[in-house]
Amino acid sequence: MRNLTFPRRTALHLALGSLALPGVARAQQAQIDPLISGPTPPGACRGGRVTIGSLVEPPALDPFRQAADARIRVSVLMYQGLFYEDQSGVARPLLAESAAASADGKSWTFRLRRGVKFHTGQTMTSADVKYSYDFMRNAANGSPGAGDLSSVASIDAPEEHTVVFNLSRPNAALPMTLTNKYGAVVPRGFFETPNSGTRMNEISVGTGPFKLKQFRPNSTLTFERNPDYWQPGLPYLDEVTFVTMPNSAAMVVGLQSRRIDLAMFSRPQDTQALANAPGVQVHRWPSLNQKTVDLDCKYQQLSDMRVRQAIALAIDKKTVMDASISGYGTVIGTMVAGMQEAWGVPIDQLPNQRVDLDRARSLLAAAGHPSGFDIDLTTIIGYDWMDAAAVTIAEQLRRINIQVNIRKLDLGVWIRNFRAREMGFTFNDWGTTPDPSLLYYRHFRAAPEGADFRNWNNARASALLDRGQETADPAARKAIYAEFQKILAEEVPTIMMFSSDLLTANRTRLKNYVQHGTGWYFGLAKAWVEG
Amino acid sequence: MAGFLGRRLGAAAIAALLSSLAVFLLMRAVPGDIIGQMLGQTGSDRAAEQALRAFFGLDRPLWAQFAEWVGGAVQGDLGRSWYQGRPVSAMVWDAFLVTLQLAVLTLALATLVGVPLGVVAGIAQGTRIDRAIQTFNLIGLSAPVFWLGLMLLVGTSAALDWSPPFAWSGPHEDLEENIAILVLPVLSLAVLQAAAYSQFVRGLMIEELGKDYIRAGRAKGLTPRELYFKHALANVMIPLVTFMGLILVQILGGVVVIESLFSLPGLGRLILSAIQGRDYPVVQGALLFVVIIATTINLAVDLLYGLLDPRLRP
Amino acid sequence: MTAWRLGLVLLAFFAVLIVAPGWVAPQSPFALDPSRALQPPSAAHWFGTDDVGRDVFARVIHGTRITLGLVTLSLLIAAVIGGGLGIVAGFAGRWFDLAAGRAADMVQTFPPIIAGVMITGVLGPGAANLILALAVIYLPTFFRIGRSAALAEVQLTYVEAARAAGFTESSILVRQILPNALPVLVLQFVIVFPLALQIEAALGFLGLGVVPPTPDWGAILEQGKNFILVAWWMSLWPGLFVLLSAAAMMLLGQGLREKLGR
Repeated sequence: MRNLTFPRRTALHLALGSLALPGVARAQQAQIDPLISGPTPPGACRGGRVTIGSLVEPPALDPFRQAADARIRVSVLMYQGLFYEDQSGVARPLLAESAAASADGKSWTFRLRRGVKFHTGQTMTSADVKYSYDFMRNAANGSPGAGDLSSVASIDAPEEHTVVFNLSRPNAALPMTLTNKYGAVVPRGFFETPNSGTRMNEISVGTGPFKLKQFRPNSTLTFERNPDYWQPGLPYLDEVTFVTMPNSAAMVVGLQSRRIDLAMFSRPQDTQALANAPGVQVHRWPSLNQKTVDLDCKYQQLSDMRVRQAIALAIDKKTVMDASISGYGTVIGTMVAGMQEAWGVPIDQLPNQRVDLDRARSLLAAAGHPSGFDIDLTTIIGYDWMDAAAVTIAEQLRRINIQVNIRKLDLGVWIRNFRAREMGFTFNDWGTTPDPSLLYYRHFRAAPEGADFRNWNNARASALLDRGQETADPAARKAIYAEFQKILAEEVPTIMMFSSDLLTANRTRLKNYVQHGTGWYFGLAKAWVEG
Repeated sequence: MAGFLGRRLGAAAIAALLSSLAVFLLMRAVPGDIIGQMLGQTGSDRAAEQALRAFFGLDRPLWAQFAEWVGGAVQGDLGRSWYQGRPVSAMVWDAFLVTLQLAVLTLALATLVGVPLGVVAGIAQGTRIDRAIQTFNLIGLSAPVFWLGLMLLVGTSAALDWSPPFAWSGPHEDLEENIAILVLPVLSLAVLQAAAYSQFVRGLMIEELGKDYIRAGRAKGLTPRELYFKHALANVMIPLVTFMGLILVQILGGVVVIESLFSLPGLGRLILSAIQGRDYPVVQGALLFVVIIATTINLAVDLLYGLLDPRLRP
Repeated sequence: MTAWRLGLVLLAFFAVLIVAPGWVAPQSPFALDPSRALQPPSAAHWFGTDDVGRDVFARVIHGTRITLGLVTLSLLIAAVIGGGLGIVAGFAGRWFDLAAGRAADMVQTFPPIIAGVMITGVLGPGAANLILALAVIYLPTFFRIGRSAALAEVQLTYVEAARAAGFTESSILVRQILPNALPVLVLQFVIVFPLALQIEAALGFLGLGVVPPTPDWGAILEQGKNFILVAWWMSLWPGLFVLLSAAAMMLLGQGLREKLGR
């Protein structure tokens, strides 16, 4: 295994490098939590502009109706939900001040922060909150977040700074649902104007630290400081410009030649050229993403659970991770690395995690494939790690006589297949909001409540997911999800391989940028530049 | 003349309609649509899907969708981008200006370098200079443009600690930045076109210099300067101009990869990202525009040819 | 050395790589070894190794057959179908000529890369679909050449004579016109080959080419672009091979043109 060495590693990053991820998550929490309430960084000064290189660009900026992760990354600068996703798995108040659930768990009362102003100048009240979440949960408005709010029966705004969510069934994950992935609090009535969705490419109407200045598709996206931001003294930066970069080599070149101040890399190998670059720092951060192989439980040979188990037993996750991201990540079992300590089951207590070729072969034989079979494995164009992972997995499965033919799909085609539950045998790369219900429910709960994209249709798992959502007590909830994870590992509708670390590189003039595990740019609210 | 023009325009209109239909059908044959992209991996709600489908009119029969688009297009209304909400015509025009600037600068550089090289090689046929120029032509014509661009990007970074800014500025916004962005893409495209130009001009010169009138002039004691520049070069102007038109069409069509490689918000990239995002109005409008531009340049070249050479007048 | 000879020598070089890649590069183009990833060129790995530790020399050499084979096959399809339709159109004229001519116009107004993106978009990436896309892109070129060759022949007296002598139309087509149109089509094949090769590489570079682990020059370039600053060898060699093989065909074209007197 090659070892990348970075200069100027801070103690925090050394701790990360040492792989004790649960511990790291805690260290991180101390760093990131101040986004909302912590102290001002010493010596921070206001002003300055920064340029950020990004490999992806949001297709559009409507936080209610664009699911693309590239959109969410920058939306968090402009738009805010009631809560904020602390990556250890706790929802912390953002536009809300506090949360209280009724004894039966079917009613949540949120007190709202006072003195919050929209970019439009209006003051935020409970009516705006009710309007925004009513808009989102109405499926006719086409928000991908609507499904997460299916337990909400009605929303009341009894007082100017109080909102009450009435639920048809208890939902312990409600605060985490009201975070920043989909939707946000916007001024009431905003969507009544025609083309309001696409108007969000011209103006921002949120409550976030930055306002939209200009969006030039295929080129740049510029934000300016929100002078009325409710967190006193924030943000420090006057202007932030995102530049769409063609590839990671261009980002490295741009950092070296001082064209960009910050860039986030998807593969750690890409930052290798920066190891000795003067004036550039490279940081590693744990993430909430997961790189998986998904198995459609109705697809050809995969419909037999023994075949899926055999595949799981033949895949050496560590080797795949080394090949595809140079080992800069954490092998996982059934939970993303950032949430492992809070919600995960230790890998050694899960079935089908260690390579066992003999058992794999006998399972295949029992399933009627003693001499193996051919299968297509799908990768997505533009996801560089998948190609390296695919050739590695093809090699590993050859050992149990499964011949893998790699197939590439355009992202749009892949999403179509996934949504139509025709994914076959495919790679996937997805992130989560840090709550087990939001992580699992839609993906694994049987239809119609969940989407069950992998055609798993498992009644026991579905019952556990329902109970997990309804249970408020953290310890009881953790036990339920532990049981669920054991079924997930046993029946293999997905093979969660690893969470890859996020890598950021910045010019040293940019200070105090902290990368959130979602990969979203929360940290820019507290970043500042020298001089 | 008017009849010729009328016939050509009529044919062009039919071609535009047919190719629009082809684009329309092809785009819908590509699996996946904007709705999948908007709802993503988790947006599993069927009601949301149906609502969006109705919003974009994707629930209507194909012929109705096409008829509506054609109806708008003939009135100059290409619709709006499904993502951006901006009129497609404005988006296409903005992107076209970027591509046009890239093409014109490339053409200028290629002409400035390629024509003299070709003339020199033609006059010095068979000498070492000629062979050197022909070697350049061969390499220029053979090197993949995107590969050259990548090498230039890395090379200038290593040698000069310099890179283009990547963030687009138009020439009227910030000329210095604008030039800084375009230097490398223009260079990578111009090598190929200069080589093509040089090769073409060399052939013309050799042909022209072998003609009787040059020999006669030589016998009459005309200076080489008079011979080459007054007579020979004057005669190769016509094919040169038409070649310029061909090259322009080629550049406009060939910039897709270079635009992607250098993050230029040009026409090729607009079309590429719209195809990936399944933004049908943008794909249809932009490709209609490309077809019209290509047809216009071809027509202009033919007309120019006729003007410069009365024998070819239709 | 004339262009023709130099072209032939280069072509012979590539022919060896196509026929016996294993003889030139005995290493496997597929064998993975993450422990030797991204190594610079050395005695063991002449062109270095890629990000999963495969030998780049072996991949480039074995890629010759894939890349040049793909282009050859697609141009053959384009030449046979396009050239054939062109000859028939030129010979038969009337509505068929008109319709086919319009269709060819239409395809030709699309920028080739965009056409490639749309076609592979409909069919999905992969070698077979890439061949099809390239064939469609170059069909009009061959159509035009075949058509004008046929038109030129139709007006010649021997066709008139054959007609007068009672030969059937189809036998005139096959016996008289086809042999005379063939050299022009072959020349055209050689001329567009370098262009098609570059389009193939560009589509590969956009990720629309062959699927891994198949070694293809465009695909290796695509894979190498992210590593270009730390592993230039992944990008330099396949690019040079594209350049060299394009140059070979170009020289061949020049020579052929001189020989055919065109």
